[in-house]
Amino acid sequence: MDTNHKTQILILDDEPIVCKRLKPALEKSGYEVETFITSKEAMSRIEAKEFDIVITDLKMEGLDGMAFLTEVKKRAPNTEVIVITGFATMETAKESYQKGVFDFVAKPFKVGEIQQVVKKAEEKRNQAHAAK
Amino acid sequence: MALLRTLRNILSGRFRRADSPYSFATLFNKFRSILDKNNQALELIADMGDKLGGDYVFDRQYILSITEQLTELVYLLIYDLNTLAPNKYLDLLNSFERIRVRIQAQLEGNWILPEGDTVIAYSNLDIGLNEEVGNKNATLAEIRNVLELPVPDGFTITASAFKMFLEWNKLAEPILKALNSWEHESQQSTEETSAAIRKLILDARVPPSLIQQITHALERISANYPKPEGNFFAVRSSAIGEDGEHSFAGQYKTSLNVPQSQLLEHYKMILASAYFPNALAYSSQKGFLANEIAMAVGCQLMIDVETSGVLYTLDPTSPEKETALVAAVWGLGAPLVEGRVQSDQYVVSRDPPHNLQALKIVRKPDMLVSRKGGNTEHRAVPDELQSRPCLNPEHLSKLVEMGLLIERYFKRPQDIEWALDRDGNLVILQARALNIKNGKDDLVTDISEISSNYPVLFKGEGTIVQRGIATGNVFLVGQDEDLNQVPFGSILVAKHTSPRLAGIIRKVHGIITDVGSPTGHMATIAREFRVPTIVNTRIATQTFHNGDEITLDATQGVVYGGKVKELSYYEFTVEDVFEDSYEYRLLRRILREISPLNLVDPHDKDFKPAKCKTYHDIIRFIHEKAVKELINLEHVRRRELHGAARRLDFEIPLGLTVIDIGGGIQSPNSDDAIGFTEINSIPMRAFLVGLMEPGMWDTDPVSVDFGSFMSSLTRTFSSSLASPELVGQNLAVISGEYLDLSLRLGYHFNIIDAYISDSPNDNYAYFRFIGGVTDIVRRSRRARLIAAILERLNFRVELRGDLVVGRIKKLERAIMEEKLWMLGGLVSYTRQLDIRLDNDEQVDQFLQDFTEKMPKPNSMNLQRRLYGHESQNTNFDTGR
Repeated sequence: MDTNHKTQILILDDEPIVCKRLKPALEKSGYEVETFITSKEAMSRIEAKEFDIVITDLKMEGLDGMAFLTEVKKRAPNTEVIVITGFATMETAKESYQKGVFDFVAKPFKVGEIQQVVKKAEEKRNQAHAAK
Repeated sequence: MALLRTLRNILSGRFRRADSPYSFATLFNKFRSILDKNNQALELIADMGDKLGGDYVFDRQYILSITEQLTELVYLLIYDLNTLAPNKYLDLLNSFERIRVRIQAQLEGNWILPEGDTVIAYSNLDIGLNEEVGNKNATLAEIRNVLELPVPDGFTITASAFKMFLEWNKLAEPILKALNSWEHESQQSTEETSAAIRKLILDARVPPSLIQQITHALERISANYPKPEGNFFAVRSSAIGEDGEHSFAGQYKTSLNVPQSQLLEHYKMILASAYFPNALAYSSQKGFLANEIAMAVGCQLMIDVETSGVLYTLDPTSPEKETALVAAVWGLGAPLVEGRVQSDQYVVSRDPPHNLQALKIVRKPDMLVSRKGGNTEHRAVPDELQSRPCLNPEHLSKLVEMGLLIERYFKRPQDIEWALDRDGNLVILQARALNIKNGKDDLVTDISEISSNYPVLFKGEGTIVQRGIATGNVFLVGQDEDLNQVPFGSILVAKHTSPRLAGIIRKVHGIITDVGSPTGHMATIAREFRVPTIVNTRIATQTFHNGDEITLDATQGVVYGGKVKELSYYEFTVEDVFEDSYEYRLLRRILREISPLNLVDPHDKDFKPAKCKTYHDIIRFIHEKAVKELINLEHVRRRELHGAARRLDFEIPLGLTVIDIGGGIQSPNSDDAIGFTEINSIPMRAFLVGLMEPGMWDTDPVSVDFGSFMSSLTRTFSSSLASPELVGQNLAVISGEYLDLSLRLGYHFNIIDAYISDSPNDNYAYFRFIGGVTDIVRRSRRARLIAAILERLNFRVELRGDLVVGRIKKLERAIMEEKLWMLGGLVSYTRQLDIRLDNDEQVDQFLQDFTEKMPKPNSMNLQRRLYGHESQNTNFDTGR
């Protein structure tokens, strides 16, 4: 196993502030992070590259996070998806558990919270990897 | 007689026809709902404030939805209050609508300027307007208006005025064209482009409507500072973005000592300086777009200076030395700031009292001064002053103290331009963050090592209200009068959170309380001023002593003994880029309309709906009035309640009728008299147990026998004071958590209104006392005694003649129960005392006596007596 492989994370949120704040925080924890504010660009990116972890909002202006995460799981079932969404859309978010979402984080959240969830997702992947 | 009039007013209230269409139960529920919503609203405000703390990732959606929730709550609060007191407070809707519209405009990205678009007085500015007035003006206004430090008065001409100037003169297009061709086609040199644009601006005319606004501003200044020869101004650039994330500092023009008659000319010169060659190059390099260039201007009254200079609150090259640096010259500071002359250098300790550690005095042969009639001139410094220091240690100490206040507020070391006027007053001319990035590694050691170097006084106690680090000396807060004596830079340690503390919050470094709510009024204010605060520590007032030097780490919830310097510097180095983000600024701007509390004192004449400037004001006003209205309601609605009334069968024949409005009695459906044990109402139980406290009468100072005592205790109003139909019934309206008691014992009249639940924020107790049969002097003595006892119990007390009102709120249930128990004892103890209070000294004696007889109970014992098997009934020894 390539120990130098950094965990690859894609973030999709139509509000740039979320990307702007999450990227440096996750990079500080040693991840490689790409951010997108449109699902179109994010979609074409996952066609080109498989990510270890995808963090996406569910309800965004003019784009559908559910469709995006469905596509992610279809292409790469091993990719762990973390949904970040506002309290109001939490119910919808729970529905998407069926799609194999790893976890939810309600916005607004503390930087530390998302770091923890990402760490857990990473551990799960590593275990799955080791079991193979 | 004033007393009789007062009494009649109180009593006649009972027979006023109820004009409310609602039942008592409905109104009481309204009241409860007001308390609930009040709590929710304060929590939302606190939540929004929390998000500015930097710990959270939040987005625009959050701001929209939380603002909507809060707006709805405030509206419902207004509605509820106007149901409780039918249409009495409809004025609140006007204030509400005014605030709502402003918030809406902020959310939609429209600027709401306090005085129209173009000219704003410093007194009306806040930092939320930085994109309109530039960071330099906005920061200065914050220093003046929030920190209340001396800043020359004046006004700003906004970025909108700049845009209006360009549009009115049709300059926007040619300027943009020139800039584009310079940036993209490189046909013209930077100098040529700059000169061409500046000529366009200097040749243009200031639009008439702008002239009119500037003239207005000048007139207002003249009214406040009348000068026969007119006023003189320092006219400074305050470009949008300057002194902020991108430091354009020093790129632009400043005009000094400008006569007001020449202000417009200089205004244009400052605008033109937005396009100086170096400014153009700088903004291009920093990625500013051409159409983003906007210039606001500050017009400050010229100071008649003796000395000017610069203060660095922290030595940027060796921050670990803990020193502030001061540079000073005679006269105006411009030559120093521009680096053209040598200056005196002082090294001053950052620790109070800011002693001088080192100084280097240079010969200063020349100085820049204001010229009579306008502009500046160089002049020789008198021989005897050339080699003298231009500041004395007192000035230095005061200057550094001011600088550190600014530093703490902005959470960054500061680069401050200051001046000392001829009357010896220091004024702040400019302030901006000082970059210490290069030295930060020396400052911040491993935070985990701190606890091995400093004693931990306590840890993990309480709730953090405002994050941050504070060092200072403890000031234990007692009663009202103490607050004015709080030394600058103290850490307040108080029993309770209180809006009173809000009044001195800018003086203090930190706040720690024993009890109190993280969502209360004071908490919100602490956030507004960014004063590190922890509440609900339980033990703070017992742990700390006046004058102790401590460090409050309100990020980890730890208090260390001594001054932990590592921690105080830690904050400077935490990167907080998000404070420059749109969302941060939007939230901050919206909080400006929501969170500042202007209505602090309910006795102030301005405590009224029209004076509510923020949602917080409205919420606070409603809270205060809801309690008041419910107390009044009891008198208005009494008639309606007869049907549901049940008598209390009690050891002391109080003649008390009890109306249970929910959960106050164990068997609510019976019509029989109820016993003490059946009372579930938390405040009622505590009060009755206190009333029966044996120690309160068994050492009666004039040894009245028990029979006559009881008869006097239960005697009702004499006919000289009240008509017969008023006599004979005492009333308690109770619920599980509520007590509203009107009690006439002997010749005096008590009202107790209390709510006690497990939610401290809802809890309150109100006590009112009036009346007596003896002369006014004796009655006043008794009132003073009651007031003194209430104060000792930490009530907030008002005393007028023989009317005593005491209030306390937001304490935890067990403590509130203790207060009600004490009130019971107090009512027992004082009911007849006016007969015996022959001189003023006795007031103190009886105060002492009461304190001895009714000592602060062991809380477990009290709980056992309130609820345990050893009911107070069995302790009540009537056979004494």
